[in-house]
Amino acid sequence: MRSPETAVVHRAPMRPLLGKELREVASGRALWTMLLILCPLVGYSFFQAVSLYDEASAAAAESPVLGSGLSPLDGILVPTFGGLYLAATLLFPFVAIRTLGREKESGALALLVQLPYRIPGLIVAKMTAIFAGWLAAVLCAASALVVWLAMGGHLYLPETLDLVSGHVLYGLLVGAIALFSASISDSAATAAIITLAFTIGSWVLDFALVGQPGMLGWISQLSLTQTLRPFEQGLLSAGLLLGMLAAICGFAALAAVWLHPGVRVSTKMARSAVCVSIAAAVIGLSTQVGRSVDVTEDRRNSFPAADQLALAELREPLIITVHLAPEDPRYVDLRRNVLAKLERAMPHVTIRLATSGQSMVGSASEDAYGEVEYTYDGRSDKSRSTSHREILPLIYALAGRPIPEPIPGQDYPGYPLIANASPALAWFLGGLPLLIVIAWWRSCRPPYVALHLTKDGGPA
Amino acid sequence: MAITSSPVLMQLAGLAKRFGDQHALSDISFTVNAGEVLGLIGPNGAGKTTLMQAIAGTLATDDGQILWRGTPLPLPRRRQFLFYLPDGVRPWEDQYVARVTELFAAIYGRSQAVLAQTIHSLGLAPVLRKRVVELSKGYARRLLLALALLTPQPLLLMDEPFDGFDLRQTRDIMNVLREVAGAGRTLVLAIHQLRDAARVCDRFVLLAEGRVRGVGTLAQLRAQAGTPASDLEDVFLALT
Repeated sequence: MRSPETAVVHRAPMRPLLGKELREVASGRALWTMLLILCPLVGYSFFQAVSLYDEASAAAAESPVLGSGLSPLDGILVPTFGGLYLAATLLFPFVAIRTLGREKESGALALLVQLPYRIPGLIVAKMTAIFAGWLAAVLCAASALVVWLAMGGHLYLPETLDLVSGHVLYGLLVGAIALFSASISDSAATAAIITLAFTIGSWVLDFALVGQPGMLGWISQLSLTQTLRPFEQGLLSAGLLLGMLAAICGFAALAAVWLHPGVRVSTKMARSAVCVSIAAAVIGLSTQVGRSVDVTEDRRNSFPAADQLALAELREPLIITVHLAPEDPRYVDLRRNVLAKLERAMPHVTIRLATSGQSMVGSASEDAYGEVEYTYDGRSDKSRSTSHREILPLIYALAGRPIPEPIPGQDYPGYPLIANASPALAWFLGGLPLLIVIAWWRSCRPPYVALHLTKDGGPA
Repeated sequence: MAITSSPVLMQLAGLAKRFGDQHALSDISFTVNAGEVLGLIGPNGAGKTTLMQAIAGTLATDDGQILWRGTPLPLPRRRQFLFYLPDGVRPWEDQYVARVTELFAAIYGRSQAVLAQTIHSLGLAPVLRKRVVELSKGYARRLLLALALLTPQPLLLMDEPFDGFDLRQTRDIMNVLREVAGAGRTLVLAIHQLRDAARVCDRFVLLAEGRVRGVGTLAQLRAQAGTPASDLEDVFLALT
């Protein structure tokens, strides 16, 4: 034994702790059960998506115009990863809660907090294990992409990576919420209820409040599900990435605050307030970061290439005053078809809602309601259109620029594919579950124990 | 922390803890000397576990402080100097015993030789390839003791270290703990079996209803109780 006066413990290597956390995730049934359930979820989604894509492709064989509308992002990727979304929302919380919930229930937390690691280090190790567990689920779902390629399907790497990274971040966010829930709960069951309140509550927000005016509409933006939408639309948004990372770090920080059982509740509350304030400030800041990149192959979030180039050269500020209520479907159209694309294409765009906060019924009586005013370089013009085909010429006229000639060869060709989806079912209902069961069995095997440790001695 | 020649390693000054209206600990003050085996003695509900948790910092106290070599020991620094082994814990149940012991050895930089010595001294070799959840109560207790022995902190707090052992096993474990104390570590043991406490402890802190009723060696407690020829049980009954 070491001298008692010199054996003061300060820090320890992270590797053993990381190994322990990874083993904790792998040794539980929750992870493997989730992966096994994920197989039919993703498999059936993929099967249906391929079947529908096959039917649409068969129709497109007779009409090339239909074929140009066939995008694997919409037709295959988004529906297939819908199964992963379900797993993240309903199953993954149980995997993530386990990383802390079991220690709280068994009393091992009292040992954990005495180990020579700072509390943030413990949380980082747990988040790493949660990430690894979620990565296993993402890989299972991503195997559908390999099957799709094997069928002769087409994938565009930027939009594929964007969608996958969106689901990775969404899973991490759910994991961070689950870890926080476990840190404030005495039992895993309570933690599960809290986490599901977040995830299923998001569904309720989506169904009940999206499109509602004022505060209700703002609350609907808090839905976790909303975070996936831009990724599914092929947008890589800097603000959304920043906001999601801030939320993940915020929940992880709250978990760290509430982890140690020896800290007074009043102290935890005060520290929580600081964490929430910082996270809210960063999330608020992220909403002001408007930069986003259209990563789709068909450039659905952008104007035609010639217009994109021409608009990028308009250096003066463009001010757009919209006389529409935010919940008005015309504004939704205008926002999606024109305004959002303009914000990405032009360096300086300011959008003002003249009827912000008013109801559609109340505003409809105004004469100007429905008008959109465009001001550029001291000149202005008005339009009621929500189509870029009318609005872009108006902007070019304000800027004194000619309408650009279309660039030939820039049209999206579309990727129709007539394919039989049945072999995919064999993979998702046979091959992949078998691999998961084998991996589960391997993770359950007793470890190798060195011979010098197994020689018995001492009291029996 | 300054190293001094004073025998007092740790001092508790006015420690108090309430759960609602109930005073679980009231004005707990005593000292722990370096290298001794100190027994926290008291019936169930006396506050032994609460006191141990309060010292280890796994339970927030309402009042009082802990001094290490005369210097206040704040919560974040306690794990540098003391390690608390709770009662009735099965840590990381789904892990194999070998993994759990190797985890502590790796975290605290213990060599394979020290790990092997600890495993052998506690007779854990037959269960190394078993999961923690599969262990009997006695082996689970040995595993906990092994984890405590693999830590290097100068002070070990152990809650009911002999719970789950039969008479022979208890004596063997007492010998192991005596060796640990002989090597220079200080032990604070919460024990409700007074005979066990009398066998292994150098000094005693008598607890009842969250208050300290006596502190000292058996001879000092006898003198305090005014029962010179009595054993620890009689002394305890006289003072509480």
